Amino acid sequence: MASILLSGLTKFYGKRRGVEDVTLEVGDQEFLTVFGPAGAGKTTTLNLIAGIVTPDRGSVRFGDRTVDALEPADRNVAMVFESYALYPQFTVYENMAFPLKSPKHRLPAAEVEQRVRHFATMLKIDHLLNRPIQALSNGQRQRTALGRALVRRPDVFLMDEPLSHLDAKLRHSMRAELKEMRGQLGTTTIYVTHDYLEAMSLGDRVAVINHGQILQVGKPEEVYFHPATVEVAQLFGDPEINIVDAKLRNRQATSVRVQALGEEWSLPITADISSALDRVTGDTVCLGFRPADVVVGGNGNSNLRGVVYSFEPLGTKSVLTIDSVAGQRVRALVDGHRSFDVDRRIEFGVPASSLIFFDPESTRYLVRSARTEGDD
Amino acid sequence: MNRSRSPLAKIGKTLQIFLLLFYALFALFPLLWMFIMSIKPDSQMLTTTFIFTPTLENYATVLHSDYMQFFCNNLIVSVAAVLVSLVVGAPAAYALARFQFKLKEDIAFTILSFRFAPEILVILPLYLIYQRLGLYDTYFGLIWVYQLITLPLLIWILRGFFEDISPDIEAAAQLDGYSWWQVFLRVLLPLVKPGLVAAGLLCFIFAWNSFTFPLLLSNNVQTSTVIALRYLASDTVHYGQVAAAAAISALPEVILALLIQKHLVRGLSFGAVKG
Repeated sequence: MASILLSGLTKFYGKRRGVEDVTLEVGDQEFLTVFGPAGAGKTTTLNLIAGIVTPDRGSVRFGDRTVDALEPADRNVAMVFESYALYPQFTVYENMAFPLKSPKHRLPAAEVEQRVRHFATMLKIDHLLNRPIQALSNGQRQRTALGRALVRRPDVFLMDEPLSHLDAKLRHSMRAELKEMRGQLGTTTIYVTHDYLEAMSLGDRVAVINHGQILQVGKPEEVYFHPATVEVAQLFGDPEINIVDAKLRNRQATSVRVQALGEEWSLPITADISSALDRVTGDTVCLGFRPADVVVGGNGNSNLRGVVYSFEPLGTKSVLTIDSVAGQRVRALVDGHRSFDVDRRIEFGVPASSLIFFDPESTRYLVRSARTEGDD
Repeated sequence: MNRSRSPLAKIGKTLQIFLLLFYALFALFPLLWMFIMSIKPDSQMLTTTFIFTPTLENYATVLHSDYMQFFCNNLIVSVAAVLVSLVVGAPAAYALARFQFKLKEDIAFTILSFRFAPEILVILPLYLIYQRLGLYDTYFGLIWVYQLITLPLLIWILRGFFEDISPDIEAAAQLDGYSWWQVFLRVLLPLVKPGLVAAGLLCFIFAWNSFTFPLLLSNNVQTSTVIALRYLASDTVHYGQVAAAAAISALPEVILALLIQKHLVRGLSFGAVKG
């Protein structure tokens, strides 16, 4: 049984906040990704779980036992460090065998060799076993670090941005391999990353953290389509989500007039959106919409006007930045075959189904229209 | 560099080589002179320079006396001092590198400051203390006072090496199931080995060459540095024998340095290997 419970974990480094009041539950065999920008507190959280750092407040439980008093060596936790932390004086084989020779494990030599070879083959580094680690590429070092963690068959895996120092192509293929591996191994894993694609594709659930505090925990779709706050919405997606202030007038059961981006238009809404909007004091609201949902060019939906500020072709898609009538910049993702000249006048629109409503003061999520089956 | 050089650059390079050669000669000349002195008979010492009849009599005289006993004393005291410094200094260097505590930099500076004070400055109070404690003229006393020479150097060199090792490696070893002490012995010490070698050798050289401390804090338990003085007898100065004694005394350091040359260069320039 290797579920993890973090309760109110707090750690300050002098005046600097590492994490504050972090409460998180990870189910047995669950793969949880912890996502946040640099300095968010991700590594601190991992170090607290591993026991490398002791918390100022709060506790860590594995299953039903509290591990706060246990040394890292006794927690049966394996960690893959962002810097790999391989032993420089050893070969690949010796690095992977080192944990198995420790007083905690003390396996017989034959079994050590068998396990090391098994995982080396799985990670495709079996031809490198006798190489000193200085002679390895980054990708090979990363696999060795992974192998060193795997051979122990621990209760919990902790991974600190294992793919961040790999080139994009390798990162992509390793991501797929990790996904496959976790299916095979079935160990409770906490995976830390600053890449939202990794967080969403690998995790059963995603925990979003920033400034030392957990902002939201949920399934990848939940976090992406129903972000708890504007901050969470901004952390996911590239280009970043568009957030604009809007004034709502004349709210009725099925429509409301929206004043935003220098224009006014009538927005069709549903009953639950209307009732959620009841909770807002005042008539302003924060609207969020993803660049990929922006419709550019003439058809019925494009009721907003603007001028092209910049156009970046990126292959299959292009990023278009539009100066709206009121001056706010709107980012849109358009198909790669289209092209736009800078300073060209343009019409665009945002479908009602892709709008997310946020409370203007607390920036918390209010409501969005329900996504229908088969929505992209 | 394969690009064709301008004449000015060529002259610069030649000048560089010439200057380096000159400096090498300048630095090595005293050793050469000492060696020449040691194989010159006393009669020709002051009358000739490079042309003389070489003799091994100086060496014979020195070796047949009780000189070797003092040579051994020096060896015992210096090696022991370095070993004590290693055992004490390595954990101290680690603590200074890794932990945060009040007055850390003050303590570090205080340790280094032991090297600033000329030995003559502190020798009188030390003499009185040693007499009082009964440490005068003992091996133990000398080894202990040599720590003033060897320990600061060792701690400062090793501290840099420990700082170069990523703390992640220690954390990884702990997670792998090793206690702190085992991590220190099996993972950290091998990684600072170049530093241990470099610092150990430098400390040995300083301890070996030490003169003031054994001169004033010891009498019968004497080192070869002080004993070489003996040959400055009251009637005449046997320069040849002094030189022979000095040459024999210099031998261990030179041999050691040549043997560990490779480690020394790496130890002093690169620092510990990064993981």
